[in-house]
Amino acid sequence: MSFSLEESPTTGDEVITNYTINFGPQHPAAHGVLRMVMELDGEIIERIDPHVGLLHRGTEKLIEHKTYLQALPYFDRLDYCSPLAMEHSYVLAIEKLLNLEVPLRGQYLRVLFAELTRVCNHMLNMGSHVMDVGAMTPNLWLFEIREDCLNFFERASGARMHSAWFRPGGVHQDVPEKLLVDIGEWIDTRLFPLFEDAMSLVVDNRIFKQRNVDIAKVSKEDALAWGFSGPMIRAAGIPWDLRKSQPYDVYDRMDFEIPVGTNSDCYDRFMVRVEEVRQSARIMKQCLAEMPSGPVASEDRKVVPPKRAEMKQSMEALIHHFKLYTEGFHVPAGEVYVATESPKGEFGVYLVSDGSNKPYRCKIRPTAFSHLQAMDFMSKGHMLPDATAILGAIDVVFGECDR
Amino acid sequence: MTVLHSAPRYQAEDGLVAALSATLGDKLLACKEEHGEVVLTVRRAAIDDALRLLRDEHDYQQLMEIAGVDYPQRAERFEVVYMLLSVTRNHRLLVKVSAAENTPVPTVTTVWPVAGWLEREVFDMYGVFFAGNTDLRRILTDYGFEGHPFRKDFPLTGYVELRYSEEDKRVVYEPVKLAQDLRSFDFMSPWEGADYVLPGDEKALTPPPAPAPVATAPAKVEAPKVETPKVTEKPADTGAGEPAAKETAKKVSKAKAAPKASNKAEPGAPEPTETRPARKPRAKKTDGGEA
Amino acid sequence: MNTMATTPAAGSAAGGSIIAPDQAFFDSLNSEVSDKGFLVTSTEELFQWARTGSLWWMTFGLACCAVEMIHVNMPRYDMERFGAAPRASPRQSDVMIVAGTLCNKMAPALRKVYDQMSEPKYVISMGSCANGGGYYHYSYSVVRGCDRIVPVDIYVPGCPPTAEALLYGVMQLQRKIRRIGTLER
Repeated sequence: MSFSLEESPTTGDEVITNYTINFGPQHPAAHGVLRMVMELDGEIIERIDPHVGLLHRGTEKLIEHKTYLQALPYFDRLDYCSPLAMEHSYVLAIEKLLNLEVPLRGQYLRVLFAELTRVCNHMLNMGSHVMDVGAMTPNLWLFEIREDCLNFFERASGARMHSAWFRPGGVHQDVPEKLLVDIGEWIDTRLFPLFEDAMSLVVDNRIFKQRNVDIAKVSKEDALAWGFSGPMIRAAGIPWDLRKSQPYDVYDRMDFEIPVGTNSDCYDRFMVRVEEVRQSARIMKQCLAEMPSGPVASEDRKVVPPKRAEMKQSMEALIHHFKLYTEGFHVPAGEVYVATESPKGEFGVYLVSDGSNKPYRCKIRPTAFSHLQAMDFMSKGHMLPDATAILGAIDVVFGECDR
Repeated sequence: MTVLHSAPRYQAEDGLVAALSATLGDKLLACKEEHGEVVLTVRRAAIDDALRLLRDEHDYQQLMEIAGVDYPQRAERFEVVYMLLSVTRNHRLLVKVSAAENTPVPTVTTVWPVAGWLEREVFDMYGVFFAGNTDLRRILTDYGFEGHPFRKDFPLTGYVELRYSEEDKRVVYEPVKLAQDLRSFDFMSPWEGADYVLPGDEKALTPPPAPAPVATAPAKVEAPKVETPKVTEKPADTGAGEPAAKETAKKVSKAKAAPKASNKAEPGAPEPTETRPARKPRAKKTDGGEA
Repeated sequence: MNTMATTPAAGSAAGGSIIAPDQAFFDSLNSEVSDKGFLVTSTEELFQWARTGSLWWMTFGLACCAVEMIHVNMPRYDMERFGAAPRASPRQSDVMIVAGTLCNKMAPALRKVYDQMSEPKYVISMGSCANGGGYYHYSYSVVRGCDRIVPVDIYVPGCPPTAEALLYGVMQLQRKIRRIGTLER
């Protein structure tokens, strides 16, 4: 921190010049490892230079050295608040290159769990957002919902967070029937009471509004030019949701609405997420009601490994299993860019295949990268404590931003 | 080809490709539609104009991503791919330019401000220069990083690694030293196109027969020259060294065992913190369980 | 420490009353305090009691494990009942939980935070990335284990370790502190 006093040439008073402070890389409100070099005039932010890459793990390079299936768990670890949504883009990209059909039950299960992931992600984000602006209690309640979600993930895949459950061709394993029943009950008996209780503390709270309304307003033109997506662009008043406009899996069968903001400030971004949770619950209920029975993954044995029981009987299944878990499947040469609506926005995968069993190039389009870049112009002229509110409303996670 | 996959569905309007190529004119080098993606290849010098035209006349309002790809075998080894999105026409477009290390690509920060960081990332990862980008710093890699990690000739594990040095009282960089290398397996069938000698085959290759049956023998492997037959008459010939038992029989230290520092009993396992009924020794027959 | 069958108070405990651990110990402690008004103990035990009872930890959430680290503080696991409360300032914390992948760019900051912590200080390395690089071991930008930067007391395996696993790790650290139990670390 550089700090110096000098005399004003006209009045002779002491004037305080701008000073720069270093926010992070280890700061509880930075949502991970963000370093921001802030230039302040008093408490007014003049300029922000976010330094990212403090969690740059070289994921894209590592993916080039793994087979398609071995690379899948890297996607869980990108946005660790919504792991399954990350996998979704990747498996769809592979399926697009392979032109592989996914059975209907597999698609329903994916949509169901993608929406559960969305709820899970928004719980974390909204909880930390309200905590960043000073409220503690809602976070405790929202995390209780998250715990339930993690239990569901654990029951489906065996892992609380990094499920690696979406696979090219479907999902890894079918879920127990009781799990679906429990999710249905949970939506009514746990999710809504806890969530609405917590929200009743926040959404009309005077302090929360004072900290968020009219903070970081972004015009529609700016939102488009800065590459916004997800709740950030919807809060700006553009009804753009990939689930609706470019439906993947069975989203075209779902009946849901897209919340849109009117004021394009941090409060709107928060409220868009609040409504998205309710819509996600709606989608989940439809999935549960309509889900057909049948296989959960493609029967194409050149891509999807056979079930263990089948391997006990069939030599061919055994060979397929061995080949798929050693060599992996080969993907025809080509390039695709597949983007899905992750809870944070457009999460895209640009996959280049050269026909081998490993991706030639896998470019990950993180949501937070372009949002964080806009941090500078969004926070210009705001107070220093507003930076945490803006950061909270962006919903930035560094596993994904830095890759 | 019928679409079987369930990836995001969006439809290009009829005649879109023709309209796009009409707009771009001689800026366009190639145009293809594969796997449902429209890919335009554009002259490098005209990329900013081309993207401005696409934004203004064809409503591709958003630049979602810029990706670099490295093809080391090409003359211009890098490809920079711009992903465009139209929220009004609901369509995506990939626009490509090729570049080499010494041929800067015109920046598109003049068209979209978001390109600033995206170009910085491509520069950081591949070393592609963007002419006109005023803030072309490294973005993701370490402060003071050397090299461009996503190039295909950059090793996965890099060149340096970090360690805290107790002497210097700071974190120091050292050449990378791995306990075990990354195992990468070769799944090519050994009968077709493996570029190594199979274990055991090197013996077959050593006496070069006059008409060499193996035309594709990579390199002649010299067999180790054997001059004297190997015998083990003396113990020294076995290579076994001194008997191990002699070493272990030696007393290492002549001092007594260290005295105890205190009279306090050595802490053992902690007491269980839950009252648990002590297990009875198992009887011959279970008599209705315990407790 | 036994048991339901022999203690008459708990004789009917077919899933009924909860017996607090070390009840007799606490009873005698209580009577001693109320009788004499003071306690006699060794300094070692006093220090151990103080150190294990208030393990304020530095929130060094780096990546995925940070989410589980938050979970362990939330109502369901509630780590604060062990006296382990999150603390955002290194000066006031006793233990640093390195939760997540430590990258080259972040390593100097980690060491700086560690150096700022006051003695005695402990480090829990959480998750396979912090333990040894894990899934990112071969990356050019990842430190292959945070023990290359700071001395580590407890390693918690898992990717990420569940909240229970971290809780167990903290209990193991308490056990370790009890075993060392000196004034100096």
